[in-house]
Amino acid sequence: MQLPDRESIAPAGNPLGLDGIEFVEYATSKPQALGHVLEMMGFRAIARHRSREVLLYRQGDMNVVVNAHGERGANAERPSEATYISAIALRTRNAAAAYRYVLDRGAWAVATHAEVMELNIPGIHGAGASRIYFVDRYRDFSIYDVDFVRNPGVDRHPAALAGLHWFGIVQYVGTDRTADWTEFYTKLFAFTVLPDEQRYGILPKGRILRSPGGAFYLQLIEPVEGTYEVEPNETLQRVGLGTPDVLQTTKALRERGVEFIESRDVHSETRGALTQGYLGSVMFELVHDER
Amino acid sequence: MNGDDRSGRPSALGPLPDIGDFGIDTISLAGTLPAKLDAARRGGFSQIMLSARDLVSHPEGYEAAVDAVRSSGLRVTGFQVLRDFEGLSGHLHDYKVDVAKSMLTMCDAIGAKVLLACSSTSTHATSDADALARDLHKLAMLAVPFGVDVAYEALSWGRAVNEFTKAWDIVCRADAPNLGLGLDSYHLFAKETSLDELESIDPAKIFLVQLADFMWQEVRTAEERIATARHFRVFPGEGVHSVQLADAVKRLARMGYGGDYSFEVFNDDYQQMPPDIVVARARRAAIWLAEDVLRRALPLPNQMRLRRPGSG
Repeated sequence: MQLPDRESIAPAGNPLGLDGIEFVEYATSKPQALGHVLEMMGFRAIARHRSREVLLYRQGDMNVVVNAHGERGANAERPSEATYISAIALRTRNAAAAYRYVLDRGAWAVATHAEVMELNIPGIHGAGASRIYFVDRYRDFSIYDVDFVRNPGVDRHPAALAGLHWFGIVQYVGTDRTADWTEFYTKLFAFTVLPDEQRYGILPKGRILRSPGGAFYLQLIEPVEGTYEVEPNETLQRVGLGTPDVLQTTKALRERGVEFIESRDVHSETRGALTQGYLGSVMFELVHDER
Repeated sequence: MNGDDRSGRPSALGPLPDIGDFGIDTISLAGTLPAKLDAARRGGFSQIMLSARDLVSHPEGYEAAVDAVRSSGLRVTGFQVLRDFEGLSGHLHDYKVDVAKSMLTMCDAIGAKVLLACSSTSTHATSDADALARDLHKLAMLAVPFGVDVAYEALSWGRAVNEFTKAWDIVCRADAPNLGLGLDSYHLFAKETSLDELESIDPAKIFLVQLADFMWQEVRTAEERIATARHFRVFPGEGVHSVQLADAVKRLARMGYGGDYSFEVFNDDYQQMPPDIVVARARRAAIWLAEDVLRRALPLPNQMRLRRPGSG
C-alpha cells in the first residue's frame, strides 16, 4: 500500500519545503575569540549547550552556533586550530522527509551523537568537512529550548543590527567542480541556477544558486587558475548577510570595531562590502538586499 | 597532470614520445602493491590504475597501502571496480550503496578522481533504462563531495548494458556532470561494436579509456567473453585487433579525447612473470601507440585536457 507521503503535498519546485537557514555553525578551538567577532557583527550570546562546549548567538532571525566541542567532521587533515563553517541547518517542512528525500538521491548520512533528552537533528555531508542539517520545528517551538540553557538576564530575541539577515553562503569548490555541485544542489534540494547577469554584492564570481522559495543563495566559486600549487579543500568559505543599506551598515559595524577590506578591486559600496578575515578565515560579506 | 620526468629525456634513438597519458593497471601485474608501484615507475609510467583488491591485500594493511600509493609519486588514473550497482531495489540496493560508499572513501584516501563502475551482470537487476540511470545519478551524487567522477563501463557480458552505445544511452539519461563513460577496447572488440558509434559520443564525457587486446578473432558467447577477458588479454600491439585498436585510439584523439589510457590486461601468463618484464611490454605498447599510431614526434610541453563544459 502506498502511504500518504508528505512529499506529495509539496509546493511545486520545493520538494523539501525549504524555508531558509535556521542556523550556521562554526567549529572553533577559540570560542571566546570567535564570540568577540560575532558580537562585533551584532550577534549576542544567548545560551549554551547543556552537555557540550557549544554556544548560541543570535540577532534578528539569524542564529549562529559556535561549536568548540571538538567534532571536526570528516576532514581530519584540517588543522584543529582553524575556525570554519562546519554546518548549515536548513528550515524544512518536515525534517525526516527531507532527510529521506536527499538520502534517496545520493546524500551521505551523518551519524548523530545526541545525548539523553537531546534533539536528534538529521544531517548529511556537505562540502569538505561541513554538514547540512534539517530542522522543521522553528515556528512555534525552538530547538534551542531543548538542548541549550539560556544565559541569565539576556534578551532572547535581540533585534538585528541595521536589518541584517541571512543572504547566503559562499562555497569554494574544486577546479571544474561547479557543475557537479550545481547538480547536487539542484537535484537534491531543488535550487535553481541564476542567470550569469543576475548578480549580487561586490564579488560577482562563480555561479549563484537560489533556494526554492528564494529565501537564500549559494555562491559556488572555483579556485582562480594558477593561484594554488595544491588544489585547495572544498569548504563553506563565508556567509553573506543581507542589509537594506550597505553603507549605513558598514558605518554601524565600523563603529563596533569591524574592519572592511578597502582595496582597488574590493571595497565597500552600495552593492556590498566584505569584512577582513578574522581568526584566519572568518569573514562576512554584506549584500544589498531589501528584505 | 602530465608525465614529467621522462618527457624530453634523450634516448639513443632521440627523444622519447610523450606517454604521460598512458598508464598501467595494477591488475596487469603480479606481486604486492609496492612491487607493482615500483615496477610501474621504473618502467617509465607516471600513472597507475588501482584496484581495491590491491589496497586491502597489502601485507601491512590498508593504511600502509594508502601510504604506498601516496608516496609513490604516481598519479592515480582511477580506481576499480564497483560491480553490479545499478538496477537493484530494496535491501540489495541499500547494500550496494554501502559498497559504493566504501569505494568512494577509498578513492578519497588514495586521491583517485575516477571511480570505474561496470554494468550490472546481476539477474536481480532490472533492465529498465530509467531505473539504471536513476541509480547511476545517485552514485554520481554520492561521489560529488569527494570530487570524484564516475566512469560507467559496459561489460560485454553485462545483462542490460553490454555495449558502450547502451552505456552512453544510460549516461545521457542520467545526465549528471560527473557521470561519464569508461571505454574498454576489449569489450568493444568482443562485441564487435562498430567504431563508427564512437562518433555519437561527447569526448568530454569519456572519463577513462582502458586498452587491451586478445589473441583470437571471435568470442561468441558470454562465457567465452568472460574467460577471455579474465585470463587471455594482451597489451595493445600484441593481439589480433591491432588495426582496430589503432583505429579506435586515432578516432578518440581526433574527437578530442584528452583523458587517460590505461592498460588493463588480465593475463594468466603475465601473472607468473616478474612485474618489470610485464611493465616493459606495457611500455612497448605505449610507445607503439604514441609513436606509430598517434605519431607524436616530440614530447608535448603541456598535455591539454578538455575542461568539462558548463563548469566554471
